[in-house]
Amino acid sequence: MKQILPTNAKISKEAKETMQECVSEFISFVTGEASDKCHKEKRKTVNGDDICWALATLGFDDYAEPLKRYLHKFRELECEKANNQNHNKVINTTNRNNNNLIEKYNSYGGDDDED
Amino acid sequence: MRQAGAYSGILCGGISGRTGPHSLPLARIKKIMKKSGEDVKMISGEAPIVFSKACELFIEELTRRSWIIAIHGKRRTLHKDDVASAVVATDIFDFLVTLVSHNHGSALNNANNDGAVMEIQTLEYS
Repeated sequence: MKQILPTNAKISKEAKETMQECVSEFISFVTGEASDKCHKEKRKTVNGDDICWALATLGFDDYAEPLKRYLHKFRELECEKANNQNHNKVINTTNRNNNNLIEKYNSYGGDDDED
Repeated sequence: MRQAGAYSGILCGGISGRTGPHSLPLARIKKIMKKSGEDVKMISGEAPIVFSKACELFIEELTRRSWIIAIHGKRRTLHKDDVASAVVATDIFDFLVTLVSHNHGSALNNANNDGAVMEIQTLEYS
């Protein structure tokens, strides 16, 4: 709240509490709408698209578009993360296999170069 | 039409437990979502994250509108009645009218202030 208001603005404790109550109600309100949609479509999980749809349906059109873009970016980042983790798994497995091979080689006296 | 329920207050009690770059606690958002209805059984991981952003936008809008009312009353401190008046004066916040009317009796009196309502309408068209 403070970030939106001028620096000399003050917010009463009760105003903050009222805002918190409003936010809780906002979440419940939008979730209810999203959940109804899932139920009608025989789906069990409420996802980000459902939230965006519910916001647009309930009159929060100005939020829906930026949130769709935000969701899209979030999904892209998650994909990247997942790909990196898989990539690291492959590298680690390869390294482990290589180390095993090196150990086996050494145990046969492969490093012994002295005459 | 969806009626405002008795789910307010769950987000109260501080904003501890912030996780990651999101400004609102995701676990608490998830808790409120689950309590909103019996049908809500499974929630994807991205849903609380989308909500965190949505709530930021919501708080921004409600705060701005409340501030206009405070300024109109020549005050620099935002009071709960300013928030209540902003709710009453904004169509999309209709679902909050019952909540603010129960908690703040003078909300309707403030909403009858034509000047404040005019200011809100100016915001709508800008």
